[in-house]
Amino acid sequence: MSGVESTRDTRKGEDGPSTSLGRPKADDFGRWVSKIAVAQICESVGYQGFKGSALEALADISIRYLCDLGKNASFHANLAGRTECNLFDITRAIEDLGDSHGFPGASEIGNCLVGSGIVKEIVQFVDTKEEIPFAQPVPKFPIVRNGKLIPSFEHMNEAPPGKHIPSWLPAFPDPHTYNHTPIWNERASDPCADKIEQARQQRKAERALLRLQQRLVRNGSTGTSASLVLDATEAGSNPFLAAPLQQGEKEVSEVVLPAKLSNEVSKGDHISLLDAFAPAIDAMKTGPSDRLDGEKTFLPEKRPSVQFKFKTGKKILGESLDLSLQRKGERSSTFFLRDDERDDKKKRAEFILRQTTEYPMELNQS
Amino acid sequence: MNPNPQSSDGKHDDDSALSDFLASLMDYTPTIPDELVKHYLAKSGFQCPDVRLIRLVAVATQKFVAEVASDALQHCKARQAAVVKDKRDKQQKDKRLILVMDDLSKSLHEYGVNVKHQEYFADSPSTGIDPASREE
Repeated sequence: MSGVESTRDTRKGEDGPSTSLGRPKADDFGRWVSKIAVAQICESVGYQGFKGSALEALADISIRYLCDLGKNASFHANLAGRTECNLFDITRAIEDLGDSHGFPGASEIGNCLVGSGIVKEIVQFVDTKEEIPFAQPVPKFPIVRNGKLIPSFEHMNEAPPGKHIPSWLPAFPDPHTYNHTPIWNERASDPCADKIEQARQQRKAERALLRLQQRLVRNGSTGTSASLVLDATEAGSNPFLAAPLQQGEKEVSEVVLPAKLSNEVSKGDHISLLDAFAPAIDAMKTGPSDRLDGEKTFLPEKRPSVQFKFKTGKKILGESLDLSLQRKGERSSTFFLRDDERDDKKKRAEFILRQTTEYPMELNQS
Repeated sequence: MNPNPQSSDGKHDDDSALSDFLASLMDYTPTIPDELVKHYLAKSGFQCPDVRLIRLVAVATQKFVAEVASDALQHCKARQAAVVKDKRDKQQKDKRLILVMDDLSKSLHEYGVNVKHQEYFADSPSTGIDPASREE
């Protein structure tokens, strides 16, 4: 029995994914069960494997044989004036289907069906063949579902509209399902209040967007003190016109010039360049949504050697828009340098620019 | 029907043999399950509450399928015997008997069923010729 199981399982495993195409049809279950049964029969005959198409064809033919048997038997029963088939109807049906191949006693006429040659062959078959029951229990199918019936007039306690309609027939649908009645709009609309509400919501959305861009700028720039101040103020007021801070009032990180600052021209030290732009690159790569929680852990302690020009609030916001737009661009880090044209470190900026254009691949490494 | 005393004895034997057979069918479990047979017989209009007749139909179908399969097996074995003469290395692989469409169509042809496997694409010069030289 284990041999039967193993081949059948491999057979089924093979077939599983291939038959996932197409919608399931009503007869699929019956076909699958008959495929298994036919495979078991073939195995008892001596086969060790099957081709999928051949097995399907044989299963289809066996189903047709079964259906033909049934049709033939019911035909003979009806011919004799009965609705239920008995043994002789089945015997006649089997004889009809076996006529093409021949069986002993086929040519005889007028013999009793009890002594039919084909039944004797079947008896012989049962005696000689060993019993191979179906491998798995098959549930009763097809499952008959109780349909939802429309309640009758009696059920609904309604009188049928018309004497010609008996009360056991299904009731008519309610008139509101097919009658169209006019619709009255009960809700009072106030156009002024609606406009005010709309304007209020727009302002709310604008404020939220502005705050988001401020945060972008704060996280995008490399820790200048101006961005901290910007966060605290409203849009429109200029933080640089405020009173200057006294010494020691606010902590500012120390500017540490790297030792290799003068040597960068000769070697083209790409690593320090990467370090300088690493936070900005990280910020651009992760996207604005990650920065909303306000973490500043990736901002460096040391202020890097590259200096940025201080700008008024609006312009920085404009720049941060570019930040999000150029997130995927190759030369995204160069926008920091666009503003340094008027600075006294213009040459240094141009040098950095040249380096980024020459080695764009290095910058894009994460 | 001839009211022959000898044949009446024969009938009696046949009757008893048949009734014995139907009784024995209750012990024998055919490979095709009863539920499947009942489903397809109900589809074709066969009405019978008797389980023995259902089993008889199942056994008849099983016999038919077994005959077709054994004929196909004969064809398969004949094909392998013919091929082994040509190549010696295929002996190891050919021990597996596989049910193929070609053998099936040949055996079904004797039962009056025409099953032809359609060639989907001709991607080799040997497409469409006798499958004796084809590999699995």
